[in-house]
Amino acid sequence: MDLTYTAEEEQFRQELRTWLAENIPTEWTRPGYWATLSDTESFEKRREWEARKTAAGFSGIQWPVEYGGRGGTPGMKAIYDEETVRAHAPQTVNVLGLTFLAPTIMAIGTEEQKAEIIGPMLRNEVIWCQGFSEPGAGSDLAAVATRGVLDGDEYVVNGQKIWTTNAMHGDKIFTIVRTEAGSEKHKGLSMLLIDMNQPGVEARPLKQMSGASEFGEVFFTDARVKATDCLGEIGQGWRTAMLLLSFERGASGVGQYTEFRRQYDDIVAQAKRFGRADDPVARQELARCLVELECLRYHAMHILTQVEQGKDLGSESSMTKLQWSEAFQDLWEAFEHVLGPEATLAAPRPDVDLSPFHAQDHWSRSVTIWGGSSQVQRNIVAERVLGLPR
Amino acid sequence: MFFALTDEQQAFASTVTEFLADRFDLEAVRGVVEDPDGDGHPLTLWKGLADQGALAVLVPEEHDGLGLGLVDAQVVARALGAGVAPGPWLATVLAAEALRIAGSAEQQSRWLPALAAGETVGTVALRGEGGAWDGSGITVDVNDGRLNGSASPVDYPAVAGLIVVAATDASGTPGLYLVEAGASGLTVRDQHTYDGTARVGALEFADTPAEPLASGDTVAVQALLARGAVLNAADLVGVAREALTRTVAYDRDRNQFGVPVGSFQALKHALADLHVAVTMAEHAVLFAAHALDTDDPGTAIAVAVAGSKASDAAWNATGAMIQFFGGIGFTWEHEAHFFYKRARRRAPLFGSSAEHREALAALTF
Repeated sequence: MDLTYTAEEEQFRQELRTWLAENIPTEWTRPGYWATLSDTESFEKRREWEARKTAAGFSGIQWPVEYGGRGGTPGMKAIYDEETVRAHAPQTVNVLGLTFLAPTIMAIGTEEQKAEIIGPMLRNEVIWCQGFSEPGAGSDLAAVATRGVLDGDEYVVNGQKIWTTNAMHGDKIFTIVRTEAGSEKHKGLSMLLIDMNQPGVEARPLKQMSGASEFGEVFFTDARVKATDCLGEIGQGWRTAMLLLSFERGASGVGQYTEFRRQYDDIVAQAKRFGRADDPVARQELARCLVELECLRYHAMHILTQVEQGKDLGSESSMTKLQWSEAFQDLWEAFEHVLGPEATLAAPRPDVDLSPFHAQDHWSRSVTIWGGSSQVQRNIVAERVLGLPR
Repeated sequence: MFFALTDEQQAFASTVTEFLADRFDLEAVRGVVEDPDGDGHPLTLWKGLADQGALAVLVPEEHDGLGLGLVDAQVVARALGAGVAPGPWLATVLAAEALRIAGSAEQQSRWLPALAAGETVGTVALRGEGGAWDGSGITVDVNDGRLNGSASPVDYPAVAGLIVVAATDASGTPGLYLVEAGASGLTVRDQHTYDGTARVGALEFADTPAEPLASGDTVAVQALLARGAVLNAADLVGVAREALTRTVAYDRDRNQFGVPVGSFQALKHALADLHVAVTMAEHAVLFAAHALDTDDPGTAIAVAVAGSKASDAAWNATGAMIQFFGGIGFTWEHEAHFFYKRARRRAPLFGSSAEHREALAALTF
């Protein structure tokens, strides 16, 4: 056991901390600050800030230098995740592009794709959406019905995608499309890179139970995309998609722990304020949440070790997803249980605003659904880790 | 970042595991379980463990030990839990830890080599009936070098040559005291635990002569309780992992309705959740052991997390073992009850899951 980072990694932490301290306005650290802005204002502010961060060399931490990255270590990425949360830095606006698309392009993209896509994405000049789920293809992703028909050197695309993060701000969308007529399930699919700024593409916001609209719907009506704008080979879209999703696996648990632990402390502070902190049942429930959050932290260190050693995490990522999503949701259930009626009030007192808590509370219902629901993850753990029969 | 066992530690784990498989398998365990009036301390097992250094792991090299840390010791504890192995390993290791932490040079020279070699069995008495495991539950008083009061439950008191007793002095301050087997005024009563893989007794002290450990103060009592909590949690994690592994193996093959019962999602999802829980408990024990080894500022939280998570994981995994083996798992002839009973006896030791959670609330509220 050695839970320290290298001297070089700690040096990076100091540089990043200094930069964050100078570049995060104080008002951003106020609880609920981002909720006070409109969706568009929030987006544009974050987009601009992140472009500055990129210019300062604090984006693409683990990416090779040739792609504009920092060429850092997995440990530096974990430190980056931890420090940005600690400094109240806003979440990236290009999350799907940076997390999934970029590493996939580095792995299997053409030279043109590498040259044309990665730089503008890193600088936030092009915002990428992910077009996977459809109304009829949620957990059963292979049931996608959006179809592409070859017309000369272009595909003509028709269909609908849903749960599209940043749909209203997206410039391009990496999309699973059925390009082989009559094909079924995993066959005949292609990963097309479609320009959203064209008449055949319409994005609509999807208002969530929280009232926010992180997601949207994207409709394709005779949208056009060059056949060469395909990631991986035509007809190999499923393989490309599985490779792409594998990049979710990483050491992001360090940052998640930092964020959730702060939320735990915030909830404890509210429990004290409303006279609930001495109740033994409340103490038990919150402490139970803390146990799971601390386990998430240890698990993140375990995963980071695996990544540093170059091991394939495989289906272990399903375990990571279960742990963080269920622990996060349980924490917000505890908030409701512990605070009782006050938990349901945005302004239980004139000087108390619980609306940022409600935003997290309601958001927590989504995390056990997206990215593979808890039920799907349990099947994966049971079948691929424990070896139980299908 | 290296959150894992080293090659040496993994080899140590394999050595103990293979020794148990070869020389003390579940049939041998059954022999101990079905002989409740026996001392529960098979010498073949004890000598084998001593030969492998399993008793010497934490003892400093100058006292013929291996001078390793709790990360190494938890490797042994996990293997013993997985093998539901009987015997006073934890009791002896903790007695030696008390001497290492708080004993004078002379006390250490006198006892540690014998404890490390398995020539003397040790045990610890840190709490009285109904008491908490935080030093407040001590029901032994010390006055003029004499102990009065009681301690319960104590592991393997009948075979212990040396007992480390926590007692409070006239000012109410806890400390650690050495009592030798056969001391005057010491009564040992077998309490007949349902966990046949252990022997447990109550101690009564009536003007029993005792030797104070040189620096056996409150800090030493807390340090000993923390080490006990982590090594007990490691045993529980070993129990939990083995119970789960055996259950999964059975449910892969057991057919009902023409298919393996492990193909049903009702079982799959429960077993997947258990796998996550047991894995997290393994992480938590490893982290807590390392925190104690390195005097991490977050040690108190780490110990409570490990104690709580490991208890719950073992409790749930062994209950599920009986349920998912079905009727056969409820029979005496099946081994499921070894795991189940061991988990339930050990879960409350050194602090129950709920007591550890209360400690966490106190630390973070």
